[in-house]
Amino acid sequence: MTETLDELARGLAGVLPPGAVITDPVRLRTYECDGLTHHRAVPGIVVLPESAEQIAAVVRLCNEYGVPFVARGAGTGLSGGALPRADGVLVVTAKMRRILQVDLADRRAVVEPGVTNLAITEAVREHGYYYAPDPSSQQVCTIGGNVAENSGGAHCLKYGFTVNHVLALEIVTPDGDIVTLDADDPGYDLLGAFVGSEGTLGITTKVTVRLSRAPETVTTLLAAFGSIEQGGQAVSAIIGAGVVPAAIEMMDALAIAAAEAAVACGYPAGAGAVLIVELDGPAAEVAHQFAEVERICRDNGAFELRTAAGPQERAAVWKGRRSAFAAVGRISPAYIVQDGVVPRTALPDVLASIDRLSAEYGIRVANVFHAGDGNLHPLVLFDDAEPGAEERAGLVSGRILDLCVEHGGSITGEHGVGVDKSRYMPKMFTDDDLDTMQLVRCAFDPRGLSNPGKVFPTPRLCGEVPGVRRGVHPLVESGRAEQF
Amino acid sequence: MATPQETGPDAPQETGARARHGAGARDALSATGVTVRDAGPGDAVAGVMPRWVALPESTEEVAALMRVSAGHDLAVVPAGGGTRLHWGTPPERCDLLIDTCCLNEILEHASGDLVVRVQAGVTMDALAEALAAQNQELALDVPLAGSTVGGTLATAAAGPRRLRYGTARDLLIGLTVVLADGTVARSGGKVVKNVAGYDLGKLFTGSYGTLGIITEAVFRLHPIPRARHWVTAVLPSAPPAALSAGPSTSPGAVAAALAASQAEPSAVELDWLAPAGTFTVSALVEGVAAESRAGAVRDLLAGAAEAVPDVTGGGEAPGWWGVTPGEDVLLELRVPPSGVDGALRAIAARGLPARVRGSLASAVLQIALPPESAGTEPTELAKLPEIPEIPQLAEVAEVAAFVSGLRGDVAPLGGRLTVLTAPPELARLVDLWGPVGALPLMRRVKERFDPDRRMSPGRMAGGI
Amino acid sequence: MDPELINDCVHCGFCLPSCPTYVLWGEEMDSPRGRIHLMKQHVEGTPVTDEMAGHFDACLGCMACVTACPSGVRYDRLIEQTRAVVEREHVREPADRALRELVFQLFPHPRRLRAMRVPLRLSAGLRRRIAPRLERVNPSLAAMADLAPDPVKRVRLPRRVEAVGRRRATVGMLTGCVQGEFFPQVNAATARVLAMEGCDVVIPPSQGCCGALSLHSGRPGQARRFARRTIAAFDRAGVDTIVVNAAGCGSTMKEYADLLDGVWAERAREIRTVDLAEYLAELGPVARRHPLPLTVAYHDACHLAHAQGVRSQPRELLTAIPDLELREIAESAICCGSAGTYNLFQPEAARELGDRKAERVLATGADLLVSANPGCTMQITSAIRRSGAAPIPVAHTAQVLDASIRGLGRVA
Ligand SMILES: Cc1cc2nc3c(=O)[nH]c(=O)nc-3n(C[C@H](O)[C@H](O)[C@H](O)COP(=O)(O)OP(=O)(O)OC[C@H]3O[C@@H](n4cnc5c(N)ncnc54)[C@H](O)[C@@H]3O)c2cc1C
Ligand SMILES: Cc1cc2nc3c(=O)[nH]c(=O)nc-3n(C[C@H](O)[C@H](O)[C@H](O)COP(=O)(O)OP(=O)(O)OC[C@H]3O[C@@H](n4cnc5c(N)ncnc54)[C@H](O)[C@@H]3O)c2cc1C
Ligand code: SF4
Ligand code: SF4
Repeated sequence: MTETLDELARGLAGVLPPGAVITDPVRLRTYECDGLTHHRAVPGIVVLPESAEQIAAVVRLCNEYGVPFVARGAGTGLSGGALPRADGVLVVTAKMRRILQVDLADRRAVVEPGVTNLAITEAVREHGYYYAPDPSSQQVCTIGGNVAENSGGAHCLKYGFTVNHVLALEIVTPDGDIVTLDADDPGYDLLGAFVGSEGTLGITTKVTVRLSRAPETVTTLLAAFGSIEQGGQAVSAIIGAGVVPAAIEMMDALAIAAAEAAVACGYPAGAGAVLIVELDGPAAEVAHQFAEVERICRDNGAFELRTAAGPQERAAVWKGRRSAFAAVGRISPAYIVQDGVVPRTALPDVLASIDRLSAEYGIRVANVFHAGDGNLHPLVLFDDAEPGAEERAGLVSGRILDLCVEHGGSITGEHGVGVDKSRYMPKMFTDDDLDTMQLVRCAFDPRGLSNPGKVFPTPRLCGEVPGVRRGVHPLVESGRAEQF
Repeated sequence: MATPQETGPDAPQETGARARHGAGARDALSATGVTVRDAGPGDAVAGVMPRWVALPESTEEVAALMRVSAGHDLAVVPAGGGTRLHWGTPPERCDLLIDTCCLNEILEHASGDLVVRVQAGVTMDALAEALAAQNQELALDVPLAGSTVGGTLATAAAGPRRLRYGTARDLLIGLTVVLADGTVARSGGKVVKNVAGYDLGKLFTGSYGTLGIITEAVFRLHPIPRARHWVTAVLPSAPPAALSAGPSTSPGAVAAALAASQAEPSAVELDWLAPAGTFTVSALVEGVAAESRAGAVRDLLAGAAEAVPDVTGGGEAPGWWGVTPGEDVLLELRVPPSGVDGALRAIAARGLPARVRGSLASAVLQIALPPESAGTEPTELAKLPEIPEIPQLAEVAEVAAFVSGLRGDVAPLGGRLTVLTAPPELARLVDLWGPVGALPLMRRVKERFDPDRRMSPGRMAGGI
Repeated sequence: MDPELINDCVHCGFCLPSCPTYVLWGEEMDSPRGRIHLMKQHVEGTPVTDEMAGHFDACLGCMACVTACPSGVRYDRLIEQTRAVVEREHVREPADRALRELVFQLFPHPRRLRAMRVPLRLSAGLRRRIAPRLERVNPSLAAMADLAPDPVKRVRLPRRVEAVGRRRATVGMLTGCVQGEFFPQVNAATARVLAMEGCDVVIPPSQGCCGALSLHSGRPGQARRFARRTIAAFDRAGVDTIVVNAAGCGSTMKEYADLLDGVWAERAREIRTVDLAEYLAELGPVARRHPLPLTVAYHDACHLAHAQGVRSQPRELLTAIPDLELREIAESAICCGSAGTYNLFQPEAARELGDRKAERVLATGADLLVSANPGCTMQITSAIRRSGAAPIPVAHTAQVLDASIRGLGRVA
């Protein structure tokens, strides 16, 4: 540890409870990566604060020493967003997991950032409410991480993402102030801009979320198709018919095989693709939509349709889907989880192109995705023992993102840019676009201490951004600001 | 009327004077090829007269204008339909009005993807008409005839259906803007799901033209519901009884019951003539089964209402539905839903006649003082050369007391009160925006985007 | 520590919320994912440090992570291998070493345990008075004194219990060291229930400890010795199915074939170990159930729910009893902190987990707590006692079934 960090660690111990500052190298290393394990860095220091005031104190100390800091929730991120800095402090919110207030009359709850997504729903389920965004990792990922990534889930087709369900945030700004961003604030929607900023604009310390009323009826349909093309057409037809299901998820044969191996989900044998369509809302609406979806699926070649009766069967249908990512570990020694978005109507085209890529490179690709909003999660499989396989898989994975951009889509639908995709940002955005985003960054974090090196491809000085102060920023000149 | 030169304390005097005096600026603007004309009396922005008006037709033309403006230190205000240009604080200075009326193309309607890309000057009505041809809609209630996409975003306007669909920020998926220095920046995209980079779209919703000019927007769309039914009821008693006695028939209780109802209304609105009128509540139900669900809503309301609630189908909303309650002094009140009754009680207790209207279930209400002005045709008003005097408003001080008093009353409920529009005299007596916790951060954003304060300076909260 | 097994972990973190130590402390290195990462560090050359050993020792071995893991990571195998490495390579503090010796010399040996019970046979009042003092001297001894249940009369079980009515099967029965010593009435009930359901029950007197405690504490050598003895005892008795009523024993015995090698592994494979509830559910009922008007909270013992995947069977058996109402305990997947010897070696953590569990058990408002593991029973009872709440009676599934079949109207 450098002298600066040594000194900082002593300072941190002074503002945090006993045991909340970790400096032992063996312990530190367990924090070296998040859910994306090929980016690693052992953090200089790990802290486990228990309150916003403690986080603010940590951030102020970091400012004093000019040391960068990175927030971390449960470390399930899939873009390396919580990748630590060897020369910095990792601020882990795992001890801040109190549900501070549940207010059913106002349909909202106030929670600390380390509360898991699912814990919110569990706290209000018995009253007929739930927290709508439902990432597959909901049992473990934290609401702070959700806010940073603007996480979505299967049901965001109808209900939207984290940003649509957060009413207020308390944050610690990168210079250590505690500020509340409220959806009801007049003026710039800073709350909206903060959500999805991947920890680069500050650390969330309190979240007010909207609670949604559990729908009267939920119907889940599992439709098996001979091919993924048929499934894709069914998706287009459903949307085209004016039905907005709560969720439309698709899995191809390879993904089905993996899920089967992991959780024996019992999907129809011989399916080239399965579609999970969930409809919810007033019973009368759902009944009508259900008939329509059923007809559309049949018209598009579904050879088996199953309807889940009751919560248990529904859970069984979803089990396969939810476990799909991790389950791929059972059919392949290694894999890359990709996340890209294409316009729904481009799905058949893009899937066919992925097939061709797969054949060309000799790399298997399993497809699991949120079909309703065109969010692909291709799982690029390879054997890390086979020489060259990893490189080829990497190429396939990158080419898939190219496909997304070519079709007017996005390089990430929910996993974020993090450290992993920052180099793809120029494919989607011009320098001017990126510089403009940097203006926001510089407004919040002129010294670039909050999760530096993420999201943006090129390190820049805040003073260097065109169009703003020309010339050297005073902070840089005085040597107090660094590049990020 | 204040001249631009006298306002804008931060304006660098020398360069400002040079730019404004020379005909160079005018020539440079014309040299961009964009139609530029001298401003007339109808072009005033909340009383501040611009010198020129430009009518660009594309993002590139806007960028060219902005580059010239940067070079000549021109203060710029964007205008959409001009329906509410006079609302908010007047700009500190204004040299160039960029009228977006000619940015009026619907660039792409990908109906299969339920997405539309439009230029900022497209009016909400024109957009709705085009989308309806494909049986789709932008589920953002058109506030006023003639208002544009850009203006709607810049003011973060939203109507009754915010309860079900959210507001502009929730439906916006991509945005193109031109910054003060002419930089063209895009964020978001054409797909409904996208977390790449910061969401500049969010930042620009509610920016009142102070960060840059919105030139294009991409929205997610919804299928037009097969049927719409409104259920309207008059609650039995007037305040104070209605707000204290049987809690199950208070507007707040009725709204809570409706919001929690499995009939899933898309909107629950209130219309009330304060301080002593009865409460009228109306709920909208949309969908294939709207009729039967409206029945459920009627049954629910029947328990609380004076007479059997009125059910109207086939698009016949109550006359006041989604109509701004007034034009002279208009306030916006937001409280957590459970605070609605308390807030209404506070309004009644102030005793001033006022028309209160808005989203009951989302607890966003507009308050017009005096109530008589409700129903004036706003578009025409805005086109008038001068803001008309307001003879009814004898006591501006009384209104000021109402604003600061009510602000104090609702604060403990977690509520906030902002003044959307008011005569200048009122602005001198009360803070129009009320306390905004994130103001320092907003200032820092403004400083980065517009360091020379040339974009609608002073039009937003905190003098931004 | 098998690198292949370590690499199966994709670092998804799905196991975190089910891990009791992560629930308590929220620290990565005290989560399954973190512990696997520590194992990886060791495999890659980092020696076992005090800190590392501490995090492995803090693992309860509850296997909740195994249930939660969608990638099928064999954490059970990994931690077993790891504990052996730690015991081999790591030099512990003298006091720690002494305590571990004491426990391993005591618990797996029924006769020594019996002798030890005398000093523990303190009245409840006396125990409460000396506990704080013991706590100061040595939290582990305090834990031991705190846990020891009130002594009960020894029950001598016959070598063979004949089936009631038509014989449907012949099974062996494990008596277990802790169960046999502290809860002999559970064994008696188990034998009776099996017999009433048509089984001849063979109870070899020569059986001893199954080896579970040693195995879970990184002493595979001792565990193997016990395993071989157990197999031999049941072989000699001529049974090929062993019914086990203690979850910890059952989970270890199901793994005998992996623990042993060569001819012993073969012999292990020829014997089938089943949990009592698992076996009864599979066999199907013949004996009539009489009503038991009780509300019952069922506690998932980790070694049953996570290690053996037996969750639905005991619930089915209980709900089949007329008039009995089953209540779920919140956070049922989280360990109570007993975990074999855990409450002896990690008394503070065990206590926190016990308190957490007690709170949730009491919140059910049930008349009776049902637990299929003696360790859990001791742990939860002592936590409830500590909380000052009115004690809730605890019974084994076998006792509830016994009471119902015999028409006692209440659980003895
Ligand atoms: C198997 C699996 C399935 C997944 N499925 C989905 C899915 O369906 N949908 C989806 O959207 N995502 C999914 N994810 C990704 C991941 O779970 C989400 O991105 C989640 O929001 C991350 O939460 P976390 O608590 O683990 O955050 P971390 O991984 O710890 O951090 C993620 C980012 O958030 C920042 N951060 C964390 N806490 C804070 C805070 N308090 N303040 C400021 N910044 C903070 C970090 O700096 C980092 O940039 C999945 C991941 C896995 C492993
Ligand atoms: C503070 C405020 C709050 C309002 N709230 C509501 C509400 O909740 N519900 C409702 O129905 N109506 C509301 N309105 C009224 C009305 O709906 C909007 O003002 C209207 O939609 C604006 O459309 P317009 O095209 O006429 O814009 P204009 O009246 O021309 O301009 C309005 C504002 O938007 C800016 N602006 C216009 N176009 C652009 C552009 N392309 N880029 C950047 N900025 C631009 C202008 O500079 C000006 O500040 C509100 C108005 C204001 C001023
Ligand atoms: S066995 Fe239990 S305590 Fe150990 S890591 Fe797994 S879940 Fe945690
Ligand atoms: S759930 Fe399994 S794969 Fe995921 S971190 Fe835990 S052990 Fe590893």
